[in-house]
Amino acid sequence: MRPRLYPVFKYTVIALWACFVAGPFFWAMTTSFKDANAVQGGATYLPWIQYQPTATGWRNIFGGAGGIDVIQPFLNSAIVTIAASAISLVLGSLAAYALSRYRFKIGFIKNSDIVFFFVSQRIMPPVVLVIPFFYLLQWAGLLDTIAGLVIVTVALLLPIAVWVMVDFFNGIPREIDEMAMLDGCGPLQTFVRAILPNSLPGLTVAAMFCAVFGWNDFFFAFRLTFTEVQTLPQAVVALNSSIPPWWTLSAAALFGVAPLVLLAIWVERYLSKGNLSGAVR
Amino acid sequence: MTLSATDLSLTVDGVDHLKSVTATFEPGRLHTVIGRTMAGKTTLLRALAGLQEVDSGSLTRDGADLMRTPVWRRDTAMVYQQFINYPHLSVFGNVAFPLRRQGLSRDEIQRRVSKSLALVGLTGFERRKPSQLSGGQQQRVAVARALARGTGILLLDEPLANLDYKLREQLRDEFKTLFSDQGDTIVVYTTTEPAEAMMLGDVVLVMHEGRILQVGPPQEVFERPATTTVASIINDPPMNIFPGRIEGGQVTVAGFQATHVSAHLAQLPDGAYQFGLRATDVSLASAGVEGAVTFVEISGSETFVHAAVGKTPFVIQIEGIHDVALGDLVKLRLRPERLYAFDEKGSLVRTPSYDLVSVGGR
Amino acid sequence: MAQLDIVDVGHSYTPGAEEKQWALKPLRLTFEAGKTYALVGPSGCGKTTLLNILSGLVKPSQGQVLFDGVDVTALPTKARNIAQVFQFPVIYHSMTVYENLAFPLQCRRWDKARIDAKVHQVAEALDLDDRLGQPARRLTADDKQLISLGRGLVRDDVAAVLMDEPLTVIDPQLKHSLRRKIREITEQFQPTVIYVTHDQYEAMSVAQEVLVMRDGQAMQQGTPEQLFEAPSSAYVGYFIGSPAMNFLTLDRAHQEFTLGGRTLAVAWDIPGSTSEVQVGIRPEYVKVVTEPGPNTFAARLRGVQDHGPQRVLEIDVAGQPMKAKVPREDGVPAIEEFLVHLPRAKALPYSDGYLVLQS
Repeated sequence: MRPRLYPVFKYTVIALWACFVAGPFFWAMTTSFKDANAVQGGATYLPWIQYQPTATGWRNIFGGAGGIDVIQPFLNSAIVTIAASAISLVLGSLAAYALSRYRFKIGFIKNSDIVFFFVSQRIMPPVVLVIPFFYLLQWAGLLDTIAGLVIVTVALLLPIAVWVMVDFFNGIPREIDEMAMLDGCGPLQTFVRAILPNSLPGLTVAAMFCAVFGWNDFFFAFRLTFTEVQTLPQAVVALNSSIPPWWTLSAAALFGVAPLVLLAIWVERYLSKGNLSGAVR
Repeated sequence: MTLSATDLSLTVDGVDHLKSVTATFEPGRLHTVIGRTMAGKTTLLRALAGLQEVDSGSLTRDGADLMRTPVWRRDTAMVYQQFINYPHLSVFGNVAFPLRRQGLSRDEIQRRVSKSLALVGLTGFERRKPSQLSGGQQQRVAVARALARGTGILLLDEPLANLDYKLREQLRDEFKTLFSDQGDTIVVYTTTEPAEAMMLGDVVLVMHEGRILQVGPPQEVFERPATTTVASIINDPPMNIFPGRIEGGQVTVAGFQATHVSAHLAQLPDGAYQFGLRATDVSLASAGVEGAVTFVEISGSETFVHAAVGKTPFVIQIEGIHDVALGDLVKLRLRPERLYAFDEKGSLVRTPSYDLVSVGGR
Repeated sequence: MAQLDIVDVGHSYTPGAEEKQWALKPLRLTFEAGKTYALVGPSGCGKTTLLNILSGLVKPSQGQVLFDGVDVTALPTKARNIAQVFQFPVIYHSMTVYENLAFPLQCRRWDKARIDAKVHQVAEALDLDDRLGQPARRLTADDKQLISLGRGLVRDDVAAVLMDEPLTVIDPQLKHSLRRKIREITEQFQPTVIYVTHDQYEAMSVAQEVLVMRDGQAMQQGTPEQLFEAPSSAYVGYFIGSPAMNFLTLDRAHQEFTLGGRTLAVAWDIPGSTSEVQVGIRPEYVKVVTEPGPNTFAARLRGVQDHGPQRVLEIDVAGQPMKAKVPREDGVPAIEEFLVHLPRAKALPYSDGYLVLQS
């Protein structure tokens, strides 16, 4: 390829990819401001020029006539995600620290096998997992409850937290632990005072993953809750009927994605400020 | 407050890291452990700190068993080769960390940190993060933290190895004063550098392949190395060791003309020996045995010329810095009166005398 | 191999800054073809900036860079035909040692036989010839760094080999042998090498000429011997040599220099207008003597450092601290006050931190 053509090619590819990623967002954005007529009027994209925008879709998701109220599902999702992420981070980093610092040997099972065991739970198709989960929750009387959903979500997020944190802890010199112990810290103190403060970047990444996976879970909530508890993805999907109200669906979808977008922007800012980078070495 | 190690042994994958190490460490004294890389020095320190489990042997402090005391109750501080500090804490926070663990009052912590930072010359750096400091400064922080606690045992694992030589020289001088004033603390300091071991140590322990080969005051170890191995470890560059014979009042060394035995070797029976001669006791002369220069090293203010006579390599140390080109032919002169004689197994038989001439003395 | 000329090159990372704040103050240097040069100095001294200007990574604020007389100041790194060795070994883990060494030549479309001959020649010099077939990832860090170096040497058309602290990540105990190897192969292949380091030992053992830098300035360029025997500044006297050079402030009486009231005979003459004059003398040249004579001065012993074959005596002469390095056989003075001799030929004049040049 001739050198002068290369930048043209490079930017064309980048532009195409950007369209591919941003396209659905744009589609959802315009559609959320349409009404039934505008949707049926064929492919239109530009408000005011091609169609008259209305706020019907948005009104519908906040209890408008013929719509739903997303506030309660939103709160349910938030509670489940935050609680499950927090528990997963606490348990996960403790487990990961142990796996990173101590040698375990149970028969032929070693540290790397245990880490793989954690990750393997994410390899299994959710359909396989949901049945035992169902019976477990039924046995515990936790079907269709927030608590039940939190427990199941922890089971889903824990592997991610462990996996991310093991890798991160392996990157922190062991001498830091040793020094803390020599300085008078027992094992737990060492973890809390010397290791965790140096693990903010890892914890942030793990928290991001947990939040995204927790927030976006539809399948388990769909199978394990029914009437009492409904999460946001469930609520959005429930809108889908034989004649889908595209405007309401779009508004609900955007509303559902919004927290993650805000989170991503915040984390990106935080990382680029250098608050986290360079914390270790 | 004596710390005693008895018969410590550790084998990992068939390699002896510690082999029946028995040693006593006295309070108020600085013990330098000298040995090459992988000699077991670090393992020994880690075992003393309780960071390394050993296969067998025991550790006692004033006769009380120490093996079951967890690391965090051992009253031990350690300084690592790699400038280890808490990355998330400021300089002040780093030095204060162990003091906070001890539950000292704020004022006391403030006082001790200031004092300790002043000792290492870091006053005014309290609020910096370790990553904002140079290597030498980071190591000073680590030393300040170790000193601030006033522990009974202070371990330093090649603390200067990763610094360049001007800094090494400067810190070595500072350490000399710093550690001479440590009251009852037991200080154990490992190094690969003879000059450092000699200069800082009250007692020198020579380690090799997991064993302690010789223990003694620096002067004694240097002047009377028990074996050829000790002789090469305690000298930088390593002592020249080469085979030779004493026969009928003559010393013969392959490649060199036979010379009269000098007085200190005169009593030895005829036979084969290994001779040792320091790099400072081989000189380049206008006449002598020819050797080809294989490498020239400059270290501080000395030039080390590596030259081979036949197949025997020699190192010659010349004061000052000189340009000698690789491949040059140089003439070597050995000083027979400085020869060490070892038997064929490498044990010391005879040393040259260091009549401690006292210049200006009576 | 090319001769590199630095003509009035200076650089500031912040445009419009005053010249005394420049990372590299304007300087003029020549690096002769086929020689190894070390740039040495503490961090922030400008050595890396100078290297980056040579490699084309940094375009200097002013001045020209000439490779064999050709102005390359505006050329990017790629067009300068240089080889670089960095702190971290840059090698291809997926390739064997042989393939790593052959790669730069294949990129230049050399024919197979020529590549083969060259790779074998370089591998032999690096003592890697028995491991040519091994995957590079299995080598130790120092061997990997050797390959990085070898990749610079296989191309005999390069203008220069630039090395940026190549031994930094190498285990201190392995540095010795790698230094030795670098010296051997640079003597054999004679490339023009610019070697940046902060370690004085390394600079002096590896290079034929050393450039000492400080605060963006070239302090002195010369052979290790020149830097040791006649440091052009107090800084070089301190930086080169262990222990550092001694500096004692002299008094002036009539036409003579005195130290504690006694005359110091010197081999130089300095106009009376010069401000405070110091004598610089290496600890190696200070001798403990028993008989008073010319250039002997009363010394008071403050401390002794036992370095093994030598001892360093910390002494006061005329109330000023200095060090003397004496052979072990000479023993330690048994009395606190004794005499030291400062040889006339080794005593150099310094004023305001710089060697006073004799016309």
